[in-house]
Amino acid sequence: MADTLANLWVGFSVALAPSVLLYAFVGCLIGTVVGVLPGVGPLAGISLLLPATFGLDATRAIVMLAGIYYGAMYGGSTTSILMRIPGEAASVMTCIDGYAMARRGRAGPALTIAAVGSYVAGTASVVALMVLAPPLASFALRFGPPEYFALLVLGLLVLAYMSSGSMLKAVAMALLGLLAGMVGIDQMSGYFRFAYGVVELGDGIGVVPAAVGLFGLSEVLLTAGQAAPPEVIKPRLRELLPSRREWRESAAPIGRGTVLGFLIGIIPGSAHIISSFVSYAVERRLSRRPEEFGRGAVAGVAGPESANNAATSGAFVPMLALGVPSGPIPAVMLAAMMVHGVSPGPLLIRQQPELFWGFIASMYVGNLVLLVLNLPLVGLFVNLLRVPYPLLYPAIVMFSVLGVYSVNGSVVDVWIMLVTGVVGYLLRKFGFETAPIVLGLVLAPMIEMALRQSLAMSDGRYSIFLVRPIAATLLGVALVLTLLSLRSLMTRALDWRARLALAEKGEPL
Amino acid sequence: MSPVVILALAVLGASAPAAAQEAYPSRPITIVAPFPPGGVADLHARPLAAAMEKVLKNPVGVVNKSGAAGAVGMSFVANSRPDGYTLLLALSSISIIPEADKLFGRPPAFTVDQFVPLALLSADPTILVVRTESPWKTAREFIEDARRRPGQISYSSSGIYGTLHMAMELLSHAADIKLRHLPTAGAGPAINAILGGHVDALASGPAAVIAHIEAGKLRPLASWGDRRHPALPDVPTFKELGYPGAEFYIWAGVFAPRGTPAPVVERLEVALREAVNDPDFKAAMDKLKTPIVFKQGEEFRKFFEADARRLAEGVRRVGRIEEKK
Amino acid sequence: MLTTDRLAGGALGLLALAVMFESRRLPLGTLTKPGPAYLPVVLAALLLLSGLALVVLGGRAPRPAALGWEEGRHTAAIVAAVAVVALLLERLGYRLTMAAMLLVLVGMVERRGWVVTALFAAALALGSFFLFDTVLRVPLPRGPLGF
Repeated sequence: MADTLANLWVGFSVALAPSVLLYAFVGCLIGTVVGVLPGVGPLAGISLLLPATFGLDATRAIVMLAGIYYGAMYGGSTTSILMRIPGEAASVMTCIDGYAMARRGRAGPALTIAAVGSYVAGTASVVALMVLAPPLASFALRFGPPEYFALLVLGLLVLAYMSSGSMLKAVAMALLGLLAGMVGIDQMSGYFRFAYGVVELGDGIGVVPAAVGLFGLSEVLLTAGQAAPPEVIKPRLRELLPSRREWRESAAPIGRGTVLGFLIGIIPGSAHIISSFVSYAVERRLSRRPEEFGRGAVAGVAGPESANNAATSGAFVPMLALGVPSGPIPAVMLAAMMVHGVSPGPLLIRQQPELFWGFIASMYVGNLVLLVLNLPLVGLFVNLLRVPYPLLYPAIVMFSVLGVYSVNGSVVDVWIMLVTGVVGYLLRKFGFETAPIVLGLVLAPMIEMALRQSLAMSDGRYSIFLVRPIAATLLGVALVLTLLSLRSLMTRALDWRARLALAEKGEPL
Repeated sequence: MSPVVILALAVLGASAPAAAQEAYPSRPITIVAPFPPGGVADLHARPLAAAMEKVLKNPVGVVNKSGAAGAVGMSFVANSRPDGYTLLLALSSISIIPEADKLFGRPPAFTVDQFVPLALLSADPTILVVRTESPWKTAREFIEDARRRPGQISYSSSGIYGTLHMAMELLSHAADIKLRHLPTAGAGPAINAILGGHVDALASGPAAVIAHIEAGKLRPLASWGDRRHPALPDVPTFKELGYPGAEFYIWAGVFAPRGTPAPVVERLEVALREAVNDPDFKAAMDKLKTPIVFKQGEEFRKFFEADARRLAEGVRRVGRIEEKK
Repeated sequence: MLTTDRLAGGALGLLALAVMFESRRLPLGTLTKPGPAYLPVVLAALLLLSGLALVVLGGRAPRPAALGWEEGRHTAAIVAAVAVVALLLERLGYRLTMAAMLLVLVGMVERRGWVVTALFAAALALGSFFLFDTVLRVPLPRGPLGF
């Protein structure tokens, strides 16, 4: 322990050096700007600025890139809350309750809770990263395809807690999303599925354009033409901070979200996107007032936002401890390290202690910088809501197209956004929710690949799921949860119809 | 239309062809890297762009157009105007993708003859690695074991018909063994799979695994190269072991769309030759532990065609896996 | 009686059938070795069931006409504007296309004063281009005139 503290001291001395601090700050700033733009998420942000880091030394480059990553995660919640446009795929859940809070005039508190929750989660998970990196990383590596499959099945069950309306409708939407996820090259056999010669669809329907379309564009389509513009209660300056009740309600979700997000984040693969989905479901399940979810429940913002940030730090565990890329963003960071002559690998901690501890220290600093940066900005952002809606929504449309286009330089993404926007508009008008579609879209390719890989590993035997302990445990938990919710479904079947009628008369979600 | 408009249009029309006759280069050049940022293509393209900018005294930028294992970016360049302002930094998969398309009876996203090869930059041989805990200490032991237990030893790859898959496929054919293939979503997950013990072996580009070899987690058994890799002098090549058919490089080269005028091609070839000798570029490649292997003209063409032929045969041999039971 | 639920359920069912039809060209595989068509067919079958369930149970939902479609004109205009942008973005370049879109949406659809509209459109189009193309160095399409 004393060793760790001593190292951390070295790390801080590196991270707090003015030039390094400057780069961390610049990274956070750019990241926030990038994150606020709809559709442009941390990956796009890091990739944009990777070349700019070539002239710097390794520590500064990594610190700046990490700052961009965090900044983008923080910034992504801003558009989600203020305009219901997900800043990146992981912010989708914040759109639901965050935006509802904004509509009730609680935009400031929502933004603040998101910022504070992200800070707590980010800092706590950096501590965990620091102390537990090597053993956690070895554990994470044991997640092979069967374990991954079991985890994703568990993630799919999240669906049951995502809807506030009819379960049938939520299932139908999830199936729609799952099917949409089948578009593209089948990586196990090489066939192009449902792509009809459009090469850009080879990797499937992009989650980012689809999320921006289903949430952001559909919102504009729904509200732009309404005779009375959406009544956004313009908050007064005094109401920018959360009330005591809101603070109390966010404390536990932040804690749970942190732990949950971190654990999901350390698993190599893109599972960390589902951290916010899972957190939302957990909060809803544990809440004493589940009917608030969808209408502005504080826990619905605090939990997912914390989970998001914790997953971000978690993703660095395998990267730093073992030098394995646990997802596209750590892969870019590893490449950045390689470009600067640092060989990421299991010996990184020993060979480059300055880099490692400087990085950790800069994560603390970065989180703090972002908190300080974002809190005053809350007032600024909230004022955006004062812009008359007929001027605001064309700007939103423009930024959405810009954001979605700039990720891949592809017009196909713009078309995807448009089509999903129209589909989302129609679905919401008819009383369906769009969040399960995004969940399905994200999970489908991963679940299918994990299943088929597991069968390839075991030569077709399904017993592989039962023989491996982690997979069997996760599947067991999934089974228990399914049975529990089925039971509660049946006991609540009677007033389910009444809820259905209520939900349909209520605001479209 | 008002006379002013007609005049304006005439001026514009007149100036267009004149612009084409300006000295090359007169506009920023774009190198397309058909893979997501941070990948091998990127790591070559960006230092190269910087070096070329110095040589040509003209801005050279890199654009990532990723998707479909490189097909999106590659077909983008194949269909762009052959004026020398859009170039492609391709990896060996350029020969694989059209073959795979043919296999599935799809109209190809692009064909190899839609490009003019300009230069080869590097040719990293793949390395066969296993975990240090595994029982095989030499490549020979591995191959003999694979012969005794066909289909039991597993390996991961970056995707079906991908470079890592094809490398193993060439070995399997040359050594007459049968291995079990586990495709993953990319080079990163492929490495995770072997480190986590979910597969037994992996054919990987050296840069990605050298750190793990040094840390004692992975053991290199052999390489798919012509010569031993400078960073791994004790690792024999399959050629030495008697399997000359197992030759595979993950190479990176620069291409231009077919139809690019000859003077432009020449100018680019000269620029590339100079750029490769730029000290900053050399330093960047050094840091990546990627030795520069520079070939142009006839030499490159021969290398490229031999490679393409090997890969095409390999893809055809793999066939469509659904047809094999 | 056509209700929203029934309409939606029917549409989903039709989509499911279309997917199953399209999947016939892909190998199905077996339970122990699922092929590319396996999961799509399974999911489409489940979607078909959900669609049917919605049709059967959807009697109590409101009728589509009763939902109120006052925003329809605006919605259609926005959709059309974005579609045109998608078509022209790489042909006319970013700044022209976006400025045009903003002009149309703010000036014609929202009917704001022309001066305000023109300033707004120019500022946003040029400003965002500057932010991305120059500051962040993300290349955005330029039109044939280099603009």
